[in-house]
Formats: sequence, C-alpha cells, structure tokens
Amino acid sequence: MIQCKWCHAQNQPGTTNCQTCGAPLDEADKVSDSGWREAPRLRDMVEFKFSGSTCQVEGELVPVAEISLHPQDGVYFEHHVLLWKDESVPLSSLNTGGGLKRTIGGMPHIVTVANGPGRIAFSRDAPGELVVLPLHPGMELDVREHAFLVASHSVQYSFIRIKGLVNLLHGGNGMYMDRFVTAGYPGMLLLHGNGNVLERTLRPGEKILVEPGGFLYKDSSVQMQAAQMPLKTGHLRHGMYLAEMTGPGRVGIQSMYVHHHAD
Amino acid sequence: MNTYICRYCRQPSDPSAPTCPLCGAPVDIRSSVSDSGWVEQPPVKDMARLQFGQSHCQIAGTTVPVAEFNLAPNDWIYFSHHVLLWTEPNTSLTNMPMRGVWNRKLAGLPLVMVEARGPGHVALSENHAGEVVALPMQHGQQMWVREHRFLTATGNIRYDWHPSGVWYTTGSGDDQETHYPMGQFGDVFGAHEGPGVLLLHSPGNTFIRDLQPGQSLLIQPSSLLYRDVSVRMALHLEYPRNMGFAFWSNRWSYRSIWARLTGPGRVAVQSIFSPPEDTEIITNHSYATTHHW
Repeated sequence: MIQCKWCHAQNQPGTTNCQTCGAPLDEADKVSDSGWREAPRLRDMVEFKFSGSTCQVEGELVPVAEISLHPQDGVYFEHHVLLWKDESVPLSSLNTGGGLKRTIGGMPHIVTVANGPGRIAFSRDAPGELVVLPLHPGMELDVREHAFLVASHSVQYSFIRIKGLVNLLHGGNGMYMDRFVTAGYPGMLLLHGNGNVLERTLRPGEKILVEPGGFLYKDSSVQMQAAQMPLKTGHLRHGMYLAEMTGPGRVGIQSMYVHHHAD
Repeated sequence: MNTYICRYCRQPSDPSAPTCPLCGAPVDIRSSVSDSGWVEQPPVKDMARLQFGQSHCQIAGTTVPVAEFNLAPNDWIYFSHHVLLWTEPNTSLTNMPMRGVWNRKLAGLPLVMVEARGPGHVALSENHAGEVVALPMQHGQQMWVREHRFLTATGNIRYDWHPSGVWYTTGSGDDQETHYPMGQFGDVFGAHEGPGVLLLHSPGNTFIRDLQPGQSLLIQPSSLLYRDVSVRMALHLEYPRNMGFAFWSNRWSYRSIWARLTGPGRVAVQSIFSPPEDTEIITNHSYATTHHW
C-alpha cells in the first residue's frame, strides 16, 4: 500500500493520485528549508472520493471542484461559489445562527446545501489552489472567513468569534473564523487558497508570526493572537501587528492576500 | 574555472547546477525567443535557492511565489512592510528611515521600509499572480525599476527614487490633472557597496530584450518592469486616422499613449499592465514624439 503524505490515506500500489485527496503520489514533497510544505498541486482532471461521491478537479489557474453526488450524500457551501449544477440537484438553505452579528461581520448567515444525486461545481474568483482536507473523526479545523469552498454534510459547521479587542482591531483576520468539526464520521473539506498554499506543523510551544491576510487555516489546537511588532507603518505611524501562531498543530497560509496594514 | 554566463542575469554562474545560484533561472533549458526578439524569462524553479553572502533565498510556489530567506547573522534585507508574509520570532525587524515621505505619500509609494536582519528566517510575497525576478548586481551596477515592482534587496544595494520624467496633463483650470503612465517616480537601485541581489515581483510573464545604441521600441508604459539606466524613455503619442466616426468629435482625444525606449541597454516587460484609461485631450506633456496617421 502507498500512504499519501498529505492526508495519510492508504492507496493501492500503482496508484498515481491519492483516492482520498487527489494529491499526486509519484512526486516528491516540496518542502522549504524552514519546513513549509507546499500543498499538493492537484493534476488537472484528477478525481478522488468521499463517502459515496466523487470530486473531480478541473483547471489549474482557478480550479473548479466538480462533484458527482451520491443519492445519500450532500454538500454545503456559500452560495456565491456555485459555478453550475444539474437542474435536478435540489438546493436548501441552512441557517448558521449568529444573525445580525454575522451580517455585521460581513459573513453569510446561511449556507446552501445541495443533495444528490447529480452534479454540481464550485470555484472562487482568484488564481489559486484547491486545498483538499479530508477530516478524520474528532478533528477541528479553523478557517479564515471566505476561504471555505465546500464541505460534505458529515462535517459540522460553526464559527467562532475572534476574541480580544486587540485581535479584533489589529489582528486583520476579521471578526469570525469558520470552524469545521467532525464527530463520529469522516468528512471532506475543500478550501480555496489565493496564490500558493503552504502548510507547516508547529511543535508544542513553537511560534511563528504570520501576516494575518496570509493566514488560511489551522488546527484548533493552534493558538492565534495579535502580536505587535517593533515597527511603525504609514504616515500616521500605525503600529504593525502580525498573527502569532503557537503550536501544536498545522498552520496553512496563502501567498496572495490583501494585507491589512495601512500605507 | 567557471566560464558559464547565465543568459538571464548575465553573471558568471555554475553550469553544473540545475538552476543559476544567483538568479534561479533554469540552466538546462533552451532559450525561448519570439520572432521579434523578446526573450521569455523562465520562471524560477519551485524550491530553487539563490545564494548571496552567507545567506540564501528559496523560491516556493509558482502562481504567487514566496521568497523565503534564511539570513546569516551579518546579512540583512529590506522591503516594504506590505510584502511580509511570515517571520520567525527571532528575526530582527526594524524600520528603515526614508527621505521624502510627503512626496512618497503623494505618489502612492510605500512610506515605510523594513529591515530584516539575521540570523533567522523571513518570507515575502506580493499580491499578484506572476513571477519573482532576481537581478544579481555587480559592484557599481545600477538598475531602474518601475514603482511597486520592488520586492526586496540585500542590504548592500542602495535604494533611491527619482521622478520618472514621463507625464502629461488633461483638462484645464481646476480640472487639470497630471498623469504619470509609468508612475510619478521610478526606483533606482545601485550596488555601491559590493555585489548584491535585487528581487522584483513581475505580474504575469516576463520578457527581456537588449536594445542596440539608438534602437527604440514602443511599449505600454505600465508594462515596463526594469531597464538599464543607459536606456532612455519618453512619451510617444500616436493619433489614428479618423475614419469619420462622428462620436470621436475631436480627433485629439482619440489616441494611444506609448513609452518609447531607446537603447543601448536591457529592458524587461511584464505581460500584465494597466493601459491609460482616459480619453481627454492632452493639454501638456513631457518630451514626446508624435505620429498622426
């Protein structure tokens, strides 16, 4: 058996792409000297499976995730990432809660649910990469707002408000993070990262300072707080803050972002 | 004895390495040259390393590449704060003093530069799909770079900025507006304290060309990425023949604005650019050649 180095799933010998996340199995990992690993670049038209459904990734500049839903399966997403769908695929809405607070935070307060059978496709609107994150039971992952593309219905969706006035005012991560949790069943989560996506696993207590706009996802075990740098920016000499990540756990970043500091 | 000259950075290089250790360009590929003479700059290979001083820079990614620096204790780089992607807590970050803050503010240029000193890691990336272009510079060499294209430079590269000298005005009275199709200022980098490396971010793809003395060509002004300081640049205004379209009531407002580059020297263009938008009549301009069809 071949173990996928990205999602750790087992694959039959001779398989060139992981059947669980689509990562190429016949290419060496690309890891920088400091330990950042590039998210696997999915081959055009690669397929992988979750539950009884199949996802095919099309394109490389702004990839499209095309999902063939099994009759018993469903996925949910923010409605503006929907690219096309079979006419017969039913859509319903799911209230996320949070109402007015979510509206103030610029976040949707409903997500859309699509149920099988049928085909449906998603993409975001910037050059970047699809990040496929199969979630084992009992996992919790925090994702920056508006980076989530689609998730399987076995993944519980919630959101957490970023705490602390300094984090809210200077953190640059917005007011909320999406939190995805798997309870008793595995699930599938797809993100869209702008530019290139890199991941690093922090040891317990290990810290890294990340531009908040570059933050994409993290294990919920990773602590995140705003850290003021000894720098002044802009003509008003604003302080500069970075997101201090403290392990243990994975941190994912994207290389293209709108930085949050004033010029 | 090393006799290989990298065809992209023009520096003595190591022919046995898969990529040029100074600029990251692949060594083992054929030059890709268009019929008109533009040489396509090959993207830096994913995870290629560039060596400078006791430090090195590794380029990660191909869509929006990240320049990850491993800085030795006595080495340092500087950059605009908005390109900082991540840093290790032990890497020293300090403000770099800048002259002419008010003029830079008016021109929309970054007001603050940050110095990062080793030992430690720090990583930078820009906000456009494109390529990182590394320009190793020998002692005494200078390079003109279009504003906002600078990613970072090693500490021994001196940074200065000068008016681009290419402008035109539209409107009159209170409505008069001055336009700078190549930016109000251009960045000039010089290796006055020994060799160093300059890194640019080029949106889209990058093409380079060597102009002979007196040879000139016309390009979209905002597509210029860098040029040798020996290359002169000026406006060229081109007015197509009016074929009788009534809504172009004034033939003077229907025109193309070009940058004329005149050799000798090397020029580089990027394939993503913003053409001048307005079609108002030009009331005044810097030195320009003009052609009416």
